[in-house]
Amino acid sequence: MLKEKIDGLLDRVQKPARYMGGEMNCVLKDPDSVAIRYAFAFPDVYEVGMSHLGSRILYDIINKREDALCERVFMPWVDMADLMRAEDVPLFSLETRTPVGDFDMLGITLQYEMSYTNILEILDLARIPMHSEDRTWDHPIVIAGGPCAFNPEPLHHFIDAFSIGDGEISTLETIDVVKACKAEGVSRQECLRRLSKLRGVYVPSLYEATYHEDGTLASFEPTEEGVPRTVVKNMVADLDKAEYPESIIVPFMEIVHDRINIEVLRGCTRGCRFCQAGMIYRPVRERSVEHLLDLAQKLVDETGYEEITLSSLSTGDYTCLPQLAHELMEKFAEKRIALSLPSLRLDSQLKETLEETQKVRKTSLTYAMEAGTQRLRDVINKGITEEDLISSVTDAFAGGWSSVKLYFMFGLPTETTEDLDGIADLAGKVVRQYFATPKHLRAKGLRVNCSASCFVPKPFTPFQWEPQDTIEQFTEKQKHLCQIMRIKGVEFNWHEPHVSFLEACFARGDRKMADVLEAAWRLGCRFDGWSDQFSFEKWMQAFEQCGVDPAFYANRRREKDELLPWAFIDAGVTQAYLWRERERAMQAQVTPDCRKGCQGCGLKRFEGACEGR
Amino acid sequence: MILQFQKGDIVRHLGLLDLQRTMQRALRRSGLPIAYSKGFSPHIVMSFASALSSGIPGDAELLDVGLTDETTEEACLTAMNRVLPPSLAVSRVRLVDDRYPKLDAALQQAQYPLPLRGGGTKAVAGAIDGFLAQQEIMALRKTKKSETMVNIRPMIHELTAAYDETQDCAVLTARVSFVEAATLKPELLMESLCAFAGAQPERCEIRRTALLGLVDGKPVPLIDL
Repeated sequence: MLKEKIDGLLDRVQKPARYMGGEMNCVLKDPDSVAIRYAFAFPDVYEVGMSHLGSRILYDIINKREDALCERVFMPWVDMADLMRAEDVPLFSLETRTPVGDFDMLGITLQYEMSYTNILEILDLARIPMHSEDRTWDHPIVIAGGPCAFNPEPLHHFIDAFSIGDGEISTLETIDVVKACKAEGVSRQECLRRLSKLRGVYVPSLYEATYHEDGTLASFEPTEEGVPRTVVKNMVADLDKAEYPESIIVPFMEIVHDRINIEVLRGCTRGCRFCQAGMIYRPVRERSVEHLLDLAQKLVDETGYEEITLSSLSTGDYTCLPQLAHELMEKFAEKRIALSLPSLRLDSQLKETLEETQKVRKTSLTYAMEAGTQRLRDVINKGITEEDLISSVTDAFAGGWSSVKLYFMFGLPTETTEDLDGIADLAGKVVRQYFATPKHLRAKGLRVNCSASCFVPKPFTPFQWEPQDTIEQFTEKQKHLCQIMRIKGVEFNWHEPHVSFLEACFARGDRKMADVLEAAWRLGCRFDGWSDQFSFEKWMQAFEQCGVDPAFYANRRREKDELLPWAFIDAGVTQAYLWRERERAMQAQVTPDCRKGCQGCGLKRFEGACEGR
Repeated sequence: MILQFQKGDIVRHLGLLDLQRTMQRALRRSGLPIAYSKGFSPHIVMSFASALSSGIPGDAELLDVGLTDETTEEACLTAMNRVLPPSLAVSRVRLVDDRYPKLDAALQQAQYPLPLRGGGTKAVAGAIDGFLAQQEIMALRKTKKSETMVNIRPMIHELTAAYDETQDCAVLTARVSFVEAATLKPELLMESLCAFAGAQPERCEIRRTALLGLVDGKPVPLIDL
């Protein structure tokens, strides 16, 4: 009955393929044959969610269990969501069109702060009570994980348990606990208590936060005996032993990253001071070349994809990249499979391989410069110099590339007008380098795509104490940039500061932000990451309704001794290391890659971490 | 090789581009000796007999794919069904050489069952003979560019009804022209017929069941030319 009703809706929405299911390699299991039915939700539309590697890994891991099944849930686009409400259709899974509320567990991945209203929309469409305390065993246990779980507090009221750190093992452990609790017939509360004792699991309802008069956190403690005071992140020590999908779903419709994605390494040792991922995914762990080649072969056979991406935070740092790239090229040349490679660190061997790649397909080269001057790049510890960029584009232009992307941030700590001018200076130098390339070598149609985004300070980075620029400051800088970026051959894009401002509020938010979130959702906010849906006015209204000042979160400098809302989490890197890095940043002192010598970030405390270094 | 496949109900919303991409990837997975075009960005040499609009399922859609090596029809059928979801299952494979007519060029007619139910069904089913006896049936044909009145009578090659009195429902079978200058959409045919019968039964979903060519003036499935 529900299935037919959903079918009827598909005739009336844009992109019905988002809700169709039944793609090649999706997993269909008999619900009666398993103990735990797990719905895995990505709080954005299908084509975004299907591009997410972590979700694919967990989908595969759960479905590999005999006693569990995992089905996918995505956020319906606004047309479908409205239609579902009008026609009384609850949120459903793609595989079997089962109502999400009927599952035993609902996992939600937190990739981006601006998808938080979608999480509330998902709970509402699924008819699951919005607040954790109102749920019973008739509702799924709602678990959330992903990078944003490293500051879970703005979602504390809506999520039963957070899983912090690598999900491969933790997801299975949470399933074991829920399965045992259901079998034993213990209370839901007892189940949450047991979950809280798993490593990396944070059950917010078992902790209490108190605040000083000025709004800062006064204390944060468990409310029960036996609940850990510190939640230690999960970490998979050996990636070769971790599960990785050997078969992935091949969507009918085009998705954002429509290709095979192979994670070559996890973590990053460069220590860029603005980068949360670089801190929370430590230590660096690599997959072996043999394992990667084997995975590539299996995935090519299983999917028929025509492109492979080597993914990680910094694929250029993969120890055996030239060897891997070369072997992949050789292996799949006959099948006409293109390989996307990182642009930088074009040493001679890799350059040859890149040239081979281009025989199959042309891609544009991307450089994340992040800041316009060497001084500011030293502040943020971005170890790339102007010489690196110019020598790399010189080779590229001579090799027939004509399309270059440059990424920058503005609003970085200690930034001055000189640093902004440096952005235009670099873009101009790239253009001049193109015209300095002999005409017979260079390809026609130079395109330098230069984009600048607003800096958002994140938890567990050396800049977690820093104020974000105000919207006014950002707007002022943006005007200046637009003026100086009028360079022939350069296209300049910038990001709207309003979304970044809200992102900053949530990134370093505390429990009070949960009320703002709920108020904003009640005012109709959803898909805030989509500019056509985003309403800054509604958000400001929500802050006002709750009596919360957004500037407190976004634009305030924290003192060294302030109790930060996320300080109860042990993310591997210690607060002492982060502060040390902050001090070095203020003096524009660089910190070398920790592969060249341990910087004492704290990861060595973890068993199996940093092995062989 | 020519593949005869279904576009099942659950995938009826796939547009041509989605279907193309899905088939290309399935062919790449199949391990069959698929031919690629030459040139800078090689792609699989394949063509559909006809693009089926998004929203309409089909039972016997056709795809022509170039092969580079000997193989058997059984091997192709097994290989393709291993790599396609059940909603796109292949029901037949025919190996043909380069002299076989191009499917899109040979396509002349298509067949559709048109289910009806509810009040007026009997009237519509009973009006078919009278409807077909007309010399001329003028109907408004809409294209992206224009709206013109055309005589659709010559485009109707067969129209029959199986009426079920107990359920008050019927399935009409229509075989209509499907060539570039004279394609009759089944929706338009139904509109004309219902107007002629003066009745408006509930029209159920349309599906396409056959793609036909003509041999000595007689309709023959495109895969059997």
